[in-house]
Amino acid sequence: MSLLGLESEIGNDGQIGGWLTLNEFMVSPDGSPRLAVVAMLVDALGGLCSISAADPDWAFTADMSVHLLPTGPMERLRTNLHVRRRGRRTLIIEADLFAEEERPAGSALLTFAIVPKPHHIADVHIDTTPGRRSMNRGSKVDQLQRPYIEELELTFRETGVASIELRPVVTNTVGALHGAVHASLVDETSASLGRALLGGEVVTHDMHLAYLELGLAGPLTATATVLGAACQDRLTTVVEVRDANGALSSHSTAEVTRI
Amino acid sequence: MRGFGNPTEIGVAHYLMMSIEEIGDGTAALPHTVGHFAGRPATLDADGRLGTGLLVANIDSIGGMTSGLAALPDWIVTTNLTVRRASSALTGPNGTGPLVFDTQVLRRGRSSVVTRVEVTNISGHGVASSWMTCAILTPEDGPPPFIRPIPRLERAEPTEPIYANSPSQFFNLTAGEQPGVISLEVEQRLRNPWGILHGGSSSVALDTAARSLIAGRPTVDDTPGIIVTDLAMHFLSPGRVGPVVAVATSNGKRGNEHLVRVEVRDLGADNRLMVLGMATVRSLEEEKSTAR
Repeated sequence: MSLLGLESEIGNDGQIGGWLTLNEFMVSPDGSPRLAVVAMLVDALGGLCSISAADPDWAFTADMSVHLLPTGPMERLRTNLHVRRRGRRTLIIEADLFAEEERPAGSALLTFAIVPKPHHIADVHIDTTPGRRSMNRGSKVDQLQRPYIEELELTFRETGVASIELRPVVTNTVGALHGAVHASLVDETSASLGRALLGGEVVTHDMHLAYLELGLAGPLTATATVLGAACQDRLTTVVEVRDANGALSSHSTAEVTRI
Repeated sequence: MRGFGNPTEIGVAHYLMMSIEEIGDGTAALPHTVGHFAGRPATLDADGRLGTGLLVANIDSIGGMTSGLAALPDWIVTTNLTVRRASSALTGPNGTGPLVFDTQVLRRGRSSVVTRVEVTNISGHGVASSWMTCAILTPEDGPPPFIRPIPRLERAEPTEPIYANSPSQFFNLTAGEQPGVISLEVEQRLRNPWGILHGGSSSVALDTAARSLIAGRPTVDDTPGIIVTDLAMHFLSPGRVGPVVAVATSNGKRGNEHLVRVEVRDLGADNRLMVLGMATVRSLEEEKSTAR
């Protein structure tokens, strides 16, 4: 999260939204925000939204669906979040996405699992009072001198297969691979298959991602395979992320289109 | 929660006519099953392809059952489900005729189960990929009685005339006055063993509403060339009373793919939101005209 310039806004009515200020290192070849960075935006803002909604318990992301529209270049991506259901054990959040505050840019649906607040964050206080604030103090965003995906330092063994070492910049509070970095793996491994099989530049624009086990043993490896066959300018993928012990950490499907 | 009824009373399962068998000796912590869908003519479109609403109904049926096996002696309810159809199986011979639903539990947690379903045609070509999450619950009268491993059960062809009807007739669908609005009258055959509306009934209503919106006309019938290619469904509350109404709205488009949001509500239960869905609807007609 520290690699991206995220901002949150909490309204007086408790409504939560936020922004991602984009630069050339965060976009797809068509100029639209990459799925990888959008996933971080909605995951981070959804997490913030879950703090109030799950209080006094805690919540973590269980799954995420993202659909992106072809917006072309923009300066800022806005998201508005809505809690659609707060049950005893799950929280459903919908995120609307907008380019420059008004043009539709897609949407996301997230499930958060509600759990007792973990001991290791019992004393952590997150400001949920109304106001607008940066979500990444000490951000490296100003120093981002290469594409976000490169900053994650994925290692490609072959087309569609990439590994990532666990480093502080890609892990969450318990040292596991950050959920949004799973989405980055899905985005880039799927795109690599698309480039190879469709030819030319591609964009990964849709994803359904289910988190299964914490990825605590690195490196983690993502393997994307084609569902059916490549078809004209499209490709459907299934992506599995496994930890160093071979345990399945996430399972997802994605859609890739040549641009 | 009440107990499991007689499976033969599950009208949606009878309509789908998918036979299911368990792989292995029935002791695996993460159960594995395979469903064989023969594809009765009433359930297929003019090309012999299963619509996405019924595809999801099959996935919910086998995925729910397999997730339930992982939860024994408790049982489950589906909380959300995603499906993505392979582009290469939307036209032509791939994706038509009989289908195989290979189903494997991926994770059995304390309160939920995650299961994936891979759908292929009988020659093994990928048709669709799905994963679903179920919440674990304790049924009042215990879980359904299963013999493990579950042997392949061939269902008898239903004789009642209703089972020979098209999906729109079987699921009691009525088109609204505007495109994208579909109403479903709840009948016993459309409920699941717990007495609430079967997830497959909701998926058929949702799929029909999404296609109607992009077709630009009120309809419950097939929409040749207009197909829901991916879908995320969240089951937020049970449908009990009806009529159940699905309302689709457009969120934008990418080429010939429309991003459609669908709400399914139970009008008879204070208009309660039952299902929230986000679908991609592809217009193959628009694709052809673009290609020209």
